[in-house]
Amino acid sequence: MTTVAYYKGCLASLSAKELDTSTQALAPKVGLDLIELESVTCCGAGDIHEAEPDYYLHLNARILAYAEATGSDTLMTVCNVCTLNLRQANFQLQNDEALLARINDNLATVGVPRYSGGVEVKHLLWLIAEGEGYERLKEAAHKGLKGLRVAPFYGCQILRPSKLLGFEDPDRPWSLEAIIEACGGEPVDYPAKIKCCGFPIIQAREETALGELIQPLEQAVEAGADAMVTPCPLCHLSLDAWQSKLKKATGRDFKMPILHLSQLIGVAAGLTDSELKFKRHVVSVGPVLEKLAT
Amino acid sequence: MEARDDDEMATAGAQLLMAAGNGSSGPTMDVALKIWRFDSETGERELKQYEVEAPEWSCLLDVLDIVKDRVDGTLSYRKSCRMMICGSCGMRMDGAAVLACKERMKPIVDAGHVPVISAMGNLPILKDLVVDMGPFWDKFKAMKPWLQPGFDEPADGKEYRVSQERMNVIHKEALCINCGCCVSECNSMESDPEFLGPQALAKGMRFVGDARDGATVERLEEYNSEHGIWDCTRCYFCNERCPKGVDPRDAIAKLGAESIKHGIDRDMGAKHAKWFVKSAETTGWLRETELVPKTQGIVSSIKEMKFAMGLARKGKVPPPFPPHVADRVEESRKLRELTKTQGRDGALGIVQGERGLARIEHTDRGGARRDVPETDPTEPPVLRDLS
Repeated sequence: MTTVAYYKGCLASLSAKELDTSTQALAPKVGLDLIELESVTCCGAGDIHEAEPDYYLHLNARILAYAEATGSDTLMTVCNVCTLNLRQANFQLQNDEALLARINDNLATVGVPRYSGGVEVKHLLWLIAEGEGYERLKEAAHKGLKGLRVAPFYGCQILRPSKLLGFEDPDRPWSLEAIIEACGGEPVDYPAKIKCCGFPIIQAREETALGELIQPLEQAVEAGADAMVTPCPLCHLSLDAWQSKLKKATGRDFKMPILHLSQLIGVAAGLTDSELKFKRHVVSVGPVLEKLAT
Repeated sequence: MEARDDDEMATAGAQLLMAAGNGSSGPTMDVALKIWRFDSETGERELKQYEVEAPEWSCLLDVLDIVKDRVDGTLSYRKSCRMMICGSCGMRMDGAAVLACKERMKPIVDAGHVPVISAMGNLPILKDLVVDMGPFWDKFKAMKPWLQPGFDEPADGKEYRVSQERMNVIHKEALCINCGCCVSECNSMESDPEFLGPQALAKGMRFVGDARDGATVERLEEYNSEHGIWDCTRCYFCNERCPKGVDPRDAIAKLGAESIKHGIDRDMGAKHAKWFVKSAETTGWLRETELVPKTQGIVSSIKEMKFAMGLARKGKVPPPFPPHVADRVEESRKLRELTKTQGRDGALGIVQGERGLARIEHTDRGGARRDVPETDPTEPPVLRDLS
């Protein structure tokens, strides 16, 4: 077992609870022992980075400090946006001694443990796409996916900027495909799998965002996908919940089931309904479950 | 050329010119590539394959020159300096914007890959690989890309001095060569062609962040327009593609930070960003349910009620009361109070620790990027072995 500090972030704590329950249920099956961080806050989601960047650095330093205090050298995330925000702050802190010293002084002032820079932030996807996690995954996915055609949707902030993320080639990612195959599914390919779902501006610029959102859905349907899978709860929210807005705006009803990464593997690993919580999805996952039941 | 033969430092001019001729200087390789030919006058469009012999050191631009010289003189593309500074030769290779003079072809040839070359995206194609840069320059000009007077004269009557710390804020933005690679890939601009876009906004930050410019507030007001900074969808394609390490998305974040610092926060994007700050210091976690009214205002939120009710039925609208409060959230509140007193707000806050980033800015992965729909479908869809 690998022990990691687990940062679930805002959505898995609130509107995407199904991401948290399926992740917690899946973890032991893929060799991960999760220490959930209790005293942490939002990473700022790029918004605090933009509104008050110095506060953003402090919030993320505090999350990293509490992760380090668990004794683990790995902070596991389940969201693209958390991954980029934490890795970006970590990089800045690790590469600027004066900055780390000033922020540590501030953390000490308010009673937060110091951060030495010894934590690496990794998304769940990266922990199970290769190495021991991948081997365990293949064993865990014993129920398989019966050739389910799954469209991987990476989203942006797990691929770009690659100098801060760097797990895989941002133009030719392979990790989701590897996992879909390991679970017995069939990955389908389409160009928009690495593009934006529009979520960051879905409230402030809905029309622009919908113009982005329609591309992966349209292409996944054309490629014959039964479902889409994403490692990001924000991509999940726009792909799942905003499909109805696309229907209203364009007349097209995609009816495309959207699965969190932990749910897709969870189905193949035989997680229970109460762990997968598909009832919380806006677009029904029923057709996927029916296809697997036949 | 002969006169320079004795000079150790001289460029081997004769060799350079000869190399593309008959392969007499050094090893060569056989390069195959496909080029999307296009003529806007006739509307004709064709993917044509070319195979030429080229020196092993060739970049994409060298290969295009050989194709034009020996195979098809009608091939059109832009070029000038050949050294990554004029910004003329932006185009796409395997769907990703590149400078043709920066891309070495040997790793691609060694991998047995036949790259697809096409014109940049988000701009109208005139012929083959030449795009109409008109819309690009219109947005560039709209930024008023020159220093505007209005700053205070130095009290001692000497030259105006700017601290290194201040100049660091615009270090990356000043590297822009106006090639358009970022614009080509911008996901927001695909959806909203009027978006000012990454190049223009990075240029805007270059002046907003310049201590000698006297029009900061006026500029920020303009860049906060409907198609301005809050139209950016944070896809980070601009940072990924920029051949010079400008990181336009970071420039846009700096403009957002400067806007909020100057109290220019009427846009929904700014209100959205500020609500995250409020959430972090009060409950620690995002107060999701209140985000919509705080961003869009009460009237717009009411129009969204039907949509919201649909989400609420699925548990996607967590009740705001009692609030989900993080353990030890007072630490978060106190940290905000501390940061407010330490003078690191605005763009200055974003460039902290960036000198570390600068060291890995100009990484060149080399090789082809990825297959795109216009590529021969018989080719392997994923090229994992090229890194």
